[in-house]
Amino acid sequence: MRFAFAPEQLEFRDAARNLLEKECPPSAVRDAWANETGRVPGLWDRIVEMGLFDLGDVDSILVLEETGRACVPEPVVEAWALRRTDATLAMHGTPYALYADSVDVVAVQRDAEFVRGTVGERTPSVDGSRRLFAVEATDEVLDIDVHVVTERAALAAAAQLVGLAQQMLDMSVAYVSQREQFGKPIGSFQAVKHHLADAALRLEFARPCVHRAAWVLENDDGLMSVQEAVSLAKAQASEAALLAARKALQVHGAIGYTVEYDLHMWMKRAWALAAAWGDAAWHRNRVKRHLLKGPMSNV
Amino acid sequence: MNVVVCAKQIPDPAAPGELDPNTKTLKREGKLILDDSDAYGVEMGLQLADKAGGGEVTLVSMAPHDEVSGLRTALAMGAAKAILISDDALQGSDSLATAKVLAAAIKRAEPDLVLTATESTDGYTGLLPAQLAELLGWPSITFAKHIEVTDGKAKVQRQTEEGYDEVEAPLPAIVSVTAGVVEPRYPSFKGIMAAKNKPVDQVTVADLGLSADDVGWKGARQEITDVVPAEERKAGEIVEDEGDAHERIVQFLEQLKVI
Repeated sequence: MRFAFAPEQLEFRDAARNLLEKECPPSAVRDAWANETGRVPGLWDRIVEMGLFDLGDVDSILVLEETGRACVPEPVVEAWALRRTDATLAMHGTPYALYADSVDVVAVQRDAEFVRGTVGERTPSVDGSRRLFAVEATDEVLDIDVHVVTERAALAAAAQLVGLAQQMLDMSVAYVSQREQFGKPIGSFQAVKHHLADAALRLEFARPCVHRAAWVLENDDGLMSVQEAVSLAKAQASEAALLAARKALQVHGAIGYTVEYDLHMWMKRAWALAAAWGDAAWHRNRVKRHLLKGPMSNV
Repeated sequence: MNVVVCAKQIPDPAAPGELDPNTKTLKREGKLILDDSDAYGVEMGLQLADKAGGGEVTLVSMAPHDEVSGLRTALAMGAAKAILISDDALQGSDSLATAKVLAAAIKRAEPDLVLTATESTDGYTGLLPAQLAELLGWPSITFAKHIEVTDGKAKVQRQTEEGYDEVEAPLPAIVSVTAGVVEPRYPSFKGIMAAKNKPVDQVTVADLGLSADDVGWKGARQEITDVVPAEERKAGEIVEDEGDAHERIVQFLEQLKVI
């Protein structure tokens, strides 16, 4: 069996990258921090028209990575999890939903079901483009499969984290190749190389876990449960992105701390997403319980 | 209405281009992509065929090594089929030789309208549209910013420095489209899948009834004698202020006759 992406899956990725490079450059993400909705005008329709939410899990996983790489400020994770483009989600125990003011339906998880939610006050997020709103559950139960949707959301977040980590690493490599100290690019110093090598290593371990989880979601291969595969992916991707953010900040020096430089938008997205849909510790714990007890129905 | 769009496949402009020191021509190895300036023609063609309520867009492209990557992009946008002329004999073709090849291929497609860009992003000669028109004996309209097809005529708003001229020509005609006049659609994932099964007719110089002597190095009427890097911009003059900087600036501006 050949474990690699098919040529058309790579073409999907390239097509998405091309669209996002043109329609969602860093300046658009920056504008989203300050505008009314936190989103990029016109971008959502293009992503929907391209067909991201009609693709299968494996077909779309690289495209989801691209949406992370471009730091797309849209409810991609939520829409992909639901396979509908007009709704957002709030996970059990998290009374906030992303972009709840600019979608039609807010689905709030209540134990093993999703119910319609009402939108309350906006609450700040570390990421200025993430518009979070307090939501309250009503008694109207929505026709949404909790098990499928929450796993998909965690996987989509993991894929975006991989893309974010890749972009932060790329920004860092570009920066250290150009920034000079003692008459040489700082990237030529071993101590700087090691930081970036560590981040690259963690990313390369996380990426296959994310791809594997997409495969398991789509094909029950009998070797790994969906919960185990998704948790492995989300734990690895969260840690990889957090490390990439830290190392990127370190090698950028003082400029990395400024809001005028783009890096902070990627870092803050990584912080927010690493904590969303279960953080690394939660997912690690779920893998642990799975390994100790064997296949679980749901945790 | 059947529209032919000339679609050039070029090395990615984002990657630094390289010249072959022997032939002094652009290296065109590796993957080629659809010239961005041709995406406008493809979009315009699709819109016109759509508006006419029937017909299709056929791409015509000349490229080395049976390259189809760029054509697939245009097919994914919605073009119906492509004619690709790929032949080792074409290496070194100048603009006129290219026009001969494309004209022969265009004839095969029997179009009502031929769209091109005003110039390619890698060659920039801008000669091809007029050469095609001459070889085919069809009218040529350049720098179109708007095209309307009615009663067997192309009505075109032709971009000028001050605004635009309104011109019309009987069909078939060759119209070159300026960049930015329409918004090229992004290929959808469905379009990308569909493009895989769209026909690409691969032909050689002989298939088109042309002689290998008319094209390539042999057929070229131009010769590249030398290629030199553009002169670097000179560094500006730095004035250190020792109390008289304002006078020096005034002097400088007077020299330029701006004050």
